[in-house]
Amino acid sequence: MKQIQMMLLAMSLQVSLTGADKTDLSPDHYFVNEVWAKVGELSCQKCHNASGEAEDSRFILQETILVEGTELQAANEANLKAFAKMARMRKEGQLPRLLLKPIGEMDHEGEQVLKPDSTGYAILKAFVQRMEGKSAPAATTEKKYKPRSFFEGVTMIGDESLLRRLTLSLTGRLPTSKEKQAVQQKSQVGLDATLDKLMTEDAFFDRLKEGFNDIFLTNGYDGNGELILSYNHFEKSRLWYHKYDLSHIKDEKERKEALYAMSREYRKAIREEPLELIAHVVRNNRPFTEIMTADYMMVSPYSARGYGIFDQVKKRFKDADNPFEYVPAQLPALRARNDNPVNAPLVQESKTGFYPHAGLLSTFQYLRRYPTTATNRNRLRARMYYQHFLGIDVMELADQVSDAAAIDVKYETPWMEAADCVVCHRSIDPVAGLFQDFYNEEGHFGPRPEGWFEDMFGPGLEGENLPQEDKWRSLQWLAQKTAKDPRFAVAITEHVWYLLSGRKALRPPKDVDDPLFTPRRRAYKMQRSEIAEVAKRFAQADFNLKVIFKELAKSPFYRADGLKAVVEHPHRKAELHDLGVTRLLAPEQLERKIEALFGERWGKVEKEMKILYGGINSQSVTERLSEPSGAMGAIQRIMANDVSCIHVTPDFVREPTKRRLFPKVEKDVVPGSSPANDLKIRKAIVHLQGHLLDRREPIDHPEIERTFKLFSAVVAEAAKRKGIDKRETYHCGRIDGKLVADPHYTLRAWRAVVTYLLRQPEFLYE
Amino acid sequence: MRRDFIKFCGKAGLGLTMPLSWQGLAKGKANEPDAYEGPYYVVFNASGGWDTTYLMDPKGVNDINRLYKEGDILTNGKHKFAPTAKQVKKGMSNEDFFKVYGEELLVFNGMDYSINNHSPCKRYMATGKLDSLAYPTFAALAAASLAKEAPLGFLTFGNYSATGNLVPMARVPYPQSLKLIANADSVQGIARLPYHDDFALDLIEKALGEGADAAHMEQVPLPRAERAKSMLYAAQKNSKALKRVTPFISQNAPKERLARQADIALSCFKGGVCVSANLSIGQFDSHATNDPDQMRLIPEFLTGVDYLMKRAEELKIRDKLVVVIQSEMGRTPHYNKGQGKDHWSIGSIMFMGQGIRGNRVVGATDERQFLIPIDNKTLSIDEENGIRTRPEHIHLALRELAGIEDHPFSKKFPLKIPEEERLQGLFG
Repeated sequence: MKQIQMMLLAMSLQVSLTGADKTDLSPDHYFVNEVWAKVGELSCQKCHNASGEAEDSRFILQETILVEGTELQAANEANLKAFAKMARMRKEGQLPRLLLKPIGEMDHEGEQVLKPDSTGYAILKAFVQRMEGKSAPAATTEKKYKPRSFFEGVTMIGDESLLRRLTLSLTGRLPTSKEKQAVQQKSQVGLDATLDKLMTEDAFFDRLKEGFNDIFLTNGYDGNGELILSYNHFEKSRLWYHKYDLSHIKDEKERKEALYAMSREYRKAIREEPLELIAHVVRNNRPFTEIMTADYMMVSPYSARGYGIFDQVKKRFKDADNPFEYVPAQLPALRARNDNPVNAPLVQESKTGFYPHAGLLSTFQYLRRYPTTATNRNRLRARMYYQHFLGIDVMELADQVSDAAAIDVKYETPWMEAADCVVCHRSIDPVAGLFQDFYNEEGHFGPRPEGWFEDMFGPGLEGENLPQEDKWRSLQWLAQKTAKDPRFAVAITEHVWYLLSGRKALRPPKDVDDPLFTPRRRAYKMQRSEIAEVAKRFAQADFNLKVIFKELAKSPFYRADGLKAVVEHPHRKAELHDLGVTRLLAPEQLERKIEALFGERWGKVEKEMKILYGGINSQSVTERLSEPSGAMGAIQRIMANDVSCIHVTPDFVREPTKRRLFPKVEKDVVPGSSPANDLKIRKAIVHLQGHLLDRREPIDHPEIERTFKLFSAVVAEAAKRKGIDKRETYHCGRIDGKLVADPHYTLRAWRAVVTYLLRQPEFLYE
Repeated sequence: MRRDFIKFCGKAGLGLTMPLSWQGLAKGKANEPDAYEGPYYVVFNASGGWDTTYLMDPKGVNDINRLYKEGDILTNGKHKFAPTAKQVKKGMSNEDFFKVYGEELLVFNGMDYSINNHSPCKRYMATGKLDSLAYPTFAALAAASLAKEAPLGFLTFGNYSATGNLVPMARVPYPQSLKLIANADSVQGIARLPYHDDFALDLIEKALGEGADAAHMEQVPLPRAERAKSMLYAAQKNSKALKRVTPFISQNAPKERLARQADIALSCFKGGVCVSANLSIGQFDSHATNDPDQMRLIPEFLTGVDYLMKRAEELKIRDKLVVVIQSEMGRTPHYNKGQGKDHWSIGSIMFMGQGIRGNRVVGATDERQFLIPIDNKTLSIDEENGIRTRPEHIHLALRELAGIEDHPFSKKFPLKIPEEERLQGLFG
């Protein structure tokens, strides 16, 4: 029977191959935007590529997202040729292979990838008809739309505004005049040099840690900071502060307070260690791959005590009493408490004598943040590894199966036997096996006593097994492989894009019935190409993370700021849908901006209103809100009212040269009293709008006029009213406990103006 | 009117994110949106995967349950349920729950989640779409379609909460948070201490409205910036309606986690500022110790549902609630090597509230907890020719119940169910 099958197969191949090269083909609109974009790329290419699951088939396709020009043309031609060949291959009386394989017939190893009644399948049928010279349904995509250069008609942010955006975003401050000058005179070269300096400031590293915590969420691990230190290995050192000598504090209450403060700082210091590793790597211009490959961890004087290695590292600290100074350190291989191997070997296997550090991966914090269970078997950790370091969301790939419950019952180990399950588990489970020395929820070192599961794909990475001699350092092995994987650079570039823009890189569109599929795919392709290009430069620069910041800052995707003309065509609108930054400031960013512009933080939005204003706690709330709800709108109103209340009157009281808001106007300058006074007020508005909103509008601009009218109208209306106090209010107008005179109501009118400006998108968005 | 608005948005390059009241607001005509008066949609999530055989789909055979046998199964009207009264240490037993709510409860057994991983299952159950990250949850879709201008239109307390960019999601962690923001124009929220005199505040609002309108006319922002501007303006303007909520905030807010969420949602419903809410508690993922976990969590969960209904009664909005009670997956019909149960792709869902005929059970699973197909027209068992009911079938029925199945927002996120598969008369 099998022989007959083979014979038939050989015959069919002979027949079909004979006809494969008959026609000289060139990829047209239909093939590129329908057959390829909606079927080939989405349903076939993931297996049918030079290194995919179907690499041994005779239907090998080329990717087209990251190529342009002649390379793209060549790839399209090759793909068309492959499709045409499959369209011609058929046995007498049967449908061509191109129409049988995708619906799961002819022993298609990928089983059914298209339903017979799907749009994708209809496209293939039409393609076959076309190949046969028959009339076929037209393309579902808009033919009349002829895409032009992607950024045509898009205006870019000016250098000065770009600089302000970057200094605020990365360091929470305004640019200095020297920086402005550098950018004015040397444009992009000046910007690069400025960014180089900016990225050495402490504030940048705070922002970097905050940004990467948004991604890795290591701050959100469960329980007190010190719980990452297992009782089994650190029982003598982890509570070191209980025995810390505070006898120099005589007052008992004060001594207790000091102890509490010390424990708080200790816990915080431990929690921050993974993010400090990131900061350390970037601060020292080390290759960013070191966040995976570092054979050390970061410790502070407090956390080093917790690990019991303070004496070994104390000389390396500049200030051994600073709980938040960090230095690299290595842990010795772990030894079970009291020489009693409970839940772990007596001594951790190590050929170096040290704990096999593998950057973030081997930190107890990362492991505890993504815990495992007996049935999960480290798969969550494997999933997060793929997401964090290779940019692959495994769960996004989940395909519908006809009856998952039946599969569960049919197979003893469905994850190794059922095709529907194997497709993901073949990648996930080997990586899960690499985490086998940490088989617990706590993130502690502790291998499974009976050895790692044998009913799973064995430890390794994408087809490569973990060598036995590397078992003791399996995460280091994984880290080294990852550092060489081109997907790492792309994933990290995407993370920096997220940090800068507040949103994830575009995902490829998948809904082939969407009439805007083609422009959405183009938008994705353009952004993807840019990210790939930046990732390439990042890798070429020995993975210096700062290169990504500099490259993305110059990228048209970051600089796009407006349009030269209204866009009418829905396809063009869809292409531009995600362009530009326009990011609602997160609570921390808003506070930093307020500090930069007013001299001090407001303090409320990063504390009691943090979650309400869309912030995260890294644990139960892990995604920042990007669109303002009514609650957030209310907070913006409170902030605008309160910040103007706090700052307007005191600003007027200062020497003019020391004022941030009103350096060239006084409260006795009343609108309508003289043209000169009106001019002063308008100039003051120009300054305020520049300072608060980065607007550079001329004095006769309608927005200046509108603000002037607001100021004038408030003053005029107050003049009409009886019983208006001639002093500023109790809450907003006291200096040294005394109410400040406001005889013309100008202080309150300026407060209205500042309130108005603080509610503008230019203030609340980046 | 709504269609014209959407057309207007399209022309302006605004996508579908601008509030309905934009034009009026921009001209300073409306100070705050009208109160939304229902129906209100509440989606309860038992996050982690509940064991349906300890609730509405009892088995007691084939070693599926260790806490009871088939003969112990109880009934109330058409409902069959697992006995839990003897196991419950804290919270509401099944016996009490079905006794109180059986008459208005619709149970659907035999839901095919299709896969059994938390993340995609949550997405699928929340949106009706497995293979897209873009689709909104039903709660978000309902909020956007029914009252987009409501300041807290879609409240979420966890679980999958994507909005499809149709409406902002709102998080309100504590009832006090609402008090904190209810009077935004007064110092520390004290109404008698306004920051600005009334006339000054009116002039600020007027200038903001004019500015938003003028900016739109003077320059051509990118679509994203245009959307942001309109959403920001709407958020600030509509937030004025939040003061309506304060009278309904409980003086003694409940401490239980689900009841606290329900309390906030109900205050917002009653204040007319909210359309829908996702309520959620976790820890149902009982791989290690299934029976103790489920016997602790199911009663807690039911207590939360009970609190919602009772408090809604007090607020006189009970008859306006539509309640969906669900989880992202079920648990295996057997215990694992330990005391736990793992993920199972077949489960159940419960509904009650406005437009839902209770005392009914639709669908079924067999004695091994496999799905039994149903006839989509009669909703009766049809093992030969029936359909496997998946989340998209339920979501389409929910869209129909809410009267939003033809809304442009729903059409933007189609569920693509062939006519011959649509569940007919699911809600009675």
